[in-house]
Amino acid sequence: MIFIAIRQLLARRRQTILTLLGVAFGTMGFIVISGMMLGQREYLLDQLVNADAHVKISAKSDVIRAMTFDGILNRGDENFIWRIPPSGRKGNEQITSPTRWQKLLKNDPDVTAISPQLTARAIYQRGNMRESGKLVGIIPAAHTKVSNIARYVTQGSLADLTEGGNKVIIGEGLRAYLGCRVSENIFISNGGAPQPFKVVGVFQTGNKAQDDAQAFAYLTTTQRFNSTPGRVSDIGIRITNLDLATEKAALLMRSGDIKAQSWQEASAGFLSIFKLQDIIRYSVSGAILIVAAFGIYNILNIVISQKKREIAILRSIGFENRDILVIFMSQGAIIGFFGGLAGMLIGFLMCLQLSTVEIVNPLRGSAAEKLTVSFAIGNYTFAFALAFISTMLASFLPARAAGKLTPIDTIREQA
Amino acid sequence: MISVEAVTKSFGNPPSEVIRGVSFAVKDGEFASLTGKSGSGKSTLLYIVSTLDAPTTGSVIIDGLNVSEMAPRELHEFRNRNMGFVFQFHYLLPEFTALENVLMPARKAGIMAEKREYAEHLLEKFDLKGKMGSRPGQLSGGQAQRVAIARALLMRPKYIFADEPTGSLDSTNAGIVMDIFKRINKEEKCTIIYVTHDPDFAKLAKRRISLVDGALA
Repeated sequence: MIFIAIRQLLARRRQTILTLLGVAFGTMGFIVISGMMLGQREYLLDQLVNADAHVKISAKSDVIRAMTFDGILNRGDENFIWRIPPSGRKGNEQITSPTRWQKLLKNDPDVTAISPQLTARAIYQRGNMRESGKLVGIIPAAHTKVSNIARYVTQGSLADLTEGGNKVIIGEGLRAYLGCRVSENIFISNGGAPQPFKVVGVFQTGNKAQDDAQAFAYLTTTQRFNSTPGRVSDIGIRITNLDLATEKAALLMRSGDIKAQSWQEASAGFLSIFKLQDIIRYSVSGAILIVAAFGIYNILNIVISQKKREIAILRSIGFENRDILVIFMSQGAIIGFFGGLAGMLIGFLMCLQLSTVEIVNPLRGSAAEKLTVSFAIGNYTFAFALAFISTMLASFLPARAAGKLTPIDTIREQA
Repeated sequence: MISVEAVTKSFGNPPSEVIRGVSFAVKDGEFASLTGKSGSGKSTLLYIVSTLDAPTTGSVIIDGLNVSEMAPRELHEFRNRNMGFVFQFHYLLPEFTALENVLMPARKAGIMAEKREYAEHLLEKFDLKGKMGSRPGQLSGGQAQRVAIARALLMRPKYIFADEPTGSLDSTNAGIVMDIFKRINKEEKCTIIYVTHDPDFAKLAKRRISLVDGALA
């Protein structure tokens, strides 16, 4: 049957090539669109996931209600009524017993690295220029294991932040505003007397809020600057499976008086964009493949109506309904298979070409970056399966109709 | 042997009877013509006898088997092995060469290699030696019809059914086709039943079955 199917396809070469191209373009469309969208997603995810910790724990703060003091100011069997109910927020700017948390997290098998941090409010000053922002105290060796911030250090190095001396790495926006250069001093205060800090590096993440108002210093330097020795406001955590960050955050919150936020929760807006992208990706590619499948459906219908006589003679010489069905389904399968393969190849080549396109981020003074295109094997197999299945479905109805043709009906029709 | 017993065939709603209680028998090796005026039901009767169509009532018994009681697969195989068909049009598959068209029943039966030599022999016998590799589009009407006859003969069927086999041919080619049928009947002892409205060709048959308004004359 396959031999007959191949012969029939080869006999109408132009029609076959056009149908095959339809399927190939549908497949290619899916691969290119998916490659670009997923590439962009990978890039964004890299930014979202790796620019900061997978899970960040910080001090918990609660809203104070009347029942907050139940059992604290009264015994369990006593009832009292507030004349003016308490209100406000209860909380700390620091994680209580950070050492215990660090020990606990280091022993957690899901945790691969931790980075204790202290975020302090800061006013940056140089000459007459002042800018408020925050100073983040980190331990560079620990922080580079949790975040990829080191990648965005454009001058100097994160390792230049050492325990001794007041050294900072500042955002490019902040540096430009203050008009300073690396190795120059700036003054930083948090309400008290300004303290001199030496700029040992500059970073530029592309995130304007961060670049314009943030600086990094060594953790103990920040603690000293903030007059809060030993204090830790956040602990950044990197875990083995980043997809389980939300579950891990929930688990950590249950086990202590802290607030834990996963990267997904911190980037919920982006993640909903990804879902929208998926819908667009599947809709566009689905539409292309539906058009290609309709092409196959129409062509097979025309072919079958032209081939009724041949079908009749095949039936009369002993070919069964199933054989006729197989002949025409095979034609759909061959077109789907080779169209899908060709689509994968063209799609791959186009993705390869697209991945050489350079994109310049005007917010970042750095060199142009290559467009991130995904070459995930799943894209290719899904596109191929989609092409193959849609062509098989499109071929089924005409093939079944052909299988149902009886020789006598056709012969009478032709008579 | 083919035995047709009280066969009727109706079409449409309300039903219109085109074959009315026909009974006859065709012995093995007979060369029989089915004749009648246009609309007399001769082609319809041929299709019923040849198992391509089912009677409304009555039965067709071939070699002791009631064809209407045969399972579809059994019937397909029976047709493939025991029957050959020739129609007014050759109905050759245009994508295949003359030889490949002749071998088509063997392809279905999975005995291509076994039948190849015989297929070539048949084409040679029908003066088509030089046309084995030609596609139907490269053959004349007469040549194509001879290829169709070779296809019908490939499985050495016991029965050949032909519906107006000369209907689309000029008189020379029609004569050649009828000569082939006579020769097959004589040499292969093949039972041949053919429909014709041409009185001269009808006369060639040793037995004539005439129909008038769906009934035997």
